[in-house]
Amino acid sequence: MSQRGGVPVVPSRMALTQIKARLGGARRGHAMLKKKADALLVRFRGLLRQILELKEACAVKLREALFALTAAKYAAGEDLKHVIQESVHRATLRVSTTAENVAGVQIPCFECRQRAETPSLAEGDTGGEGHGRALHTTYAGLGKGGQQVAASREAFRAALDAYVRLASLQTSFIVLDEAIKITNRRVNALENVVIPRFEETLAYIVSELDEQEREEFFRLKLVQNRKKRELEKRDAQAAAERARRAVQAFAAFDAAAFGDGCSGGSERLGLLEQAAGHDPELLPL
Amino acid sequence: MEMLTFNASDGYLEAMMRGLRASILTASEYNNIMQCETTEDIRMTLNGTDYAPYLQNEPVPLQTAALVTRLTERIVSDFAGIRSSAYEPLATFLDYLTYPYMIDNLVLLITGALRNRELSDLIDKCHPLGMFEGMGTLSIVATPEELYRDVIVDTPLASYFVDCVSIQDLSELNIEIIRNLLYKAYLEDFADLCARRIGGITAQVMAPVLGFEAGRRIVNITLNSLGTDLTKEQRAALFPHVPNSLDAEIVHLLARADDEPAVAVALDRSPVFRALFQRAADHPERSLEDEFFEHEVKLLREAFDQQFHYGVFYAYFRLREQEVRNLVWLAECIAQRQRAHLGKVVNIFG
Amino acid sequence: MSATISRGLDRPHEWLMAVIGDEDTVTGFLLAGIGDASGGAHNFLVVRRGSTSDEDIADAFRRFTAARADVGIVLITQSAANRIRHLVSEYRQAMPAVLEIPSKDEPYDAAQDSTLQRVRALLGIRER
Repeated sequence: MSQRGGVPVVPSRMALTQIKARLGGARRGHAMLKKKADALLVRFRGLLRQILELKEACAVKLREALFALTAAKYAAGEDLKHVIQESVHRATLRVSTTAENVAGVQIPCFECRQRAETPSLAEGDTGGEGHGRALHTTYAGLGKGGQQVAASREAFRAALDAYVRLASLQTSFIVLDEAIKITNRRVNALENVVIPRFEETLAYIVSELDEQEREEFFRLKLVQNRKKRELEKRDAQAAAERARRAVQAFAAFDAAAFGDGCSGGSERLGLLEQAAGHDPELLPL
Repeated sequence: MEMLTFNASDGYLEAMMRGLRASILTASEYNNIMQCETTEDIRMTLNGTDYAPYLQNEPVPLQTAALVTRLTERIVSDFAGIRSSAYEPLATFLDYLTYPYMIDNLVLLITGALRNRELSDLIDKCHPLGMFEGMGTLSIVATPEELYRDVIVDTPLASYFVDCVSIQDLSELNIEIIRNLLYKAYLEDFADLCARRIGGITAQVMAPVLGFEAGRRIVNITLNSLGTDLTKEQRAALFPHVPNSLDAEIVHLLARADDEPAVAVALDRSPVFRALFQRAADHPERSLEDEFFEHEVKLLREAFDQQFHYGVFYAYFRLREQEVRNLVWLAECIAQRQRAHLGKVVNIFG
Repeated sequence: MSATISRGLDRPHEWLMAVIGDEDTVTGFLLAGIGDASGGAHNFLVVRRGSTSDEDIADAFRRFTAARADVGIVLITQSAANRIRHLVSEYRQAMPAVLEIPSKDEPYDAAQDSTLQRVRALLGIRER
């Protein structure tokens, strides 16, 4: 078996434990990311509904605010809008951001911040473009329509508050959308690439190790057999030696036959040896 | 006395006024407009009135902002027609009618100068009735001081500035305070013009109208300054003092009022204002301002009851102004789909 | 993207709100106090019929969303957004947040809102 899509690894016991650990880690990571994705998704779904609802509510608030402004213009005159536009200096209404943590994702959250309406003189406006005091619109409509102006200011602030809340939701929406995409990509990568790869590697290592084991067994058997054969051979040689010595011993007493004993004797030796081979117990005799 | 001489110089114009008065929209015309579904329908309805030529070149759909401009054009052309054939002292009287717009324009220009704006850009935003001669030289003016020295001193309002606003005040006093100081000076001056320099029936007719105008401003300034950091001395300094207005005692109480109940207590002594205050309190959908407008229209209407005086000119233009307010209000209600509020308009001639 | 988000999170900071729209809508928000003209640059654009070109709106939009670093929220009326729809729908940043608001003179149509379109698509609500 070849190492197709797996991690390049030397199939060994150590590699096996390593890969097993890594597979375990990947599975744990997968489970956790899956949980994170689910948590984000739950939040996300809720967010979508909230955005739709709040968007409607905001539209209603803005409509009310615009109508309040219409009433203010009715009472204070059309000139009002020019005065407001020309008086713009420093924003008294701003937003601040704080970060909220949802399943490890930082979500910016907007909040309306109201600054002092009258910039104090101590604040030190830069250079000649100050006149904050001369131009703030607290007194807009003082002579006529002041209450309507104040009412429309309040109405627009209410609308703005709602829109700032909507902005938080919408920002969360964009951030969460992105975070969910990234998390899902990771989950999918773990699920479809990393984990299968480790599993394959694991299978490869296991099969390789099995293969090695079988080879080892075979070799063991081989060696065993060979050793046995060698032993037998050695035994046989030893027996033959003894037989030869025995024949020699007999020949010493039959000197007459010594001359042709070599030829005839060898025949007898073969017989003897044959006999001894069949019954080594007899050989030492 | 006036019956003998009035018609010699002013009779023609007075007759013209009374003719134009007939073209002021009637209740039935308002009813027709209230039935409209879109601003285009309003244009159709107005095509049957003498506003028609002013609206015909506006692109579709008719926008309320454009409506304001076009309807105002009509008032301006009426005014120009009358003013060009007027003899003294009617000419002066008519000039006084433009001063409130001039005050608004100057205040806008001062605002722009304080913000280092290119003042020539602001001319488009100025009210056409409040244009004055120095407008052409605005492009060379940069600072409030220059504006004061080069422009304001040549306007008819220069004397009001001398009386109550110094060069230094231009950049230190709140712009709305300047506006109200100027308006106070103007109103007092105008009342003086009617009562002393013109006199006669004009003085009789104008006295209640200007008196009410002053009283209404006093009440408004009081109510609108409650809860702000405007001091009581500053508040009292903005009160216009003209004859036939609120009693000195009431004005004194208003100058010291700390809250709305205190204002109500003070106004309890004035039958007119008490009634208006009470009606506004009884009808939550109507504001005090609405009551003021309605009462003003009533006073202005009465100005037409007498002959041989200049009050009709004042009344006519003020009523036209209310008519524009009415039409714009109706158009806004219809455009913004707030039909429930259509009834706020003031019918001018029943 | 992370860079644009962290822009809002690094340091506690106050952001301006910018507005693009018809005169009344802009005036109202200015009255509420969001207007700022420090450094001679305004954070609002009044769209006038006839005199404000699409390019003016696009310029303002780019200025508020990209060039200026002190804007946290951009409010834009739907009719103005429709005139630079390509820019608005391509805009995907989290900061500054771009919000489409109803225009005064035209009824609000949620189907045209770039963000709402995405929201609806994700919720599986198909338009008509």
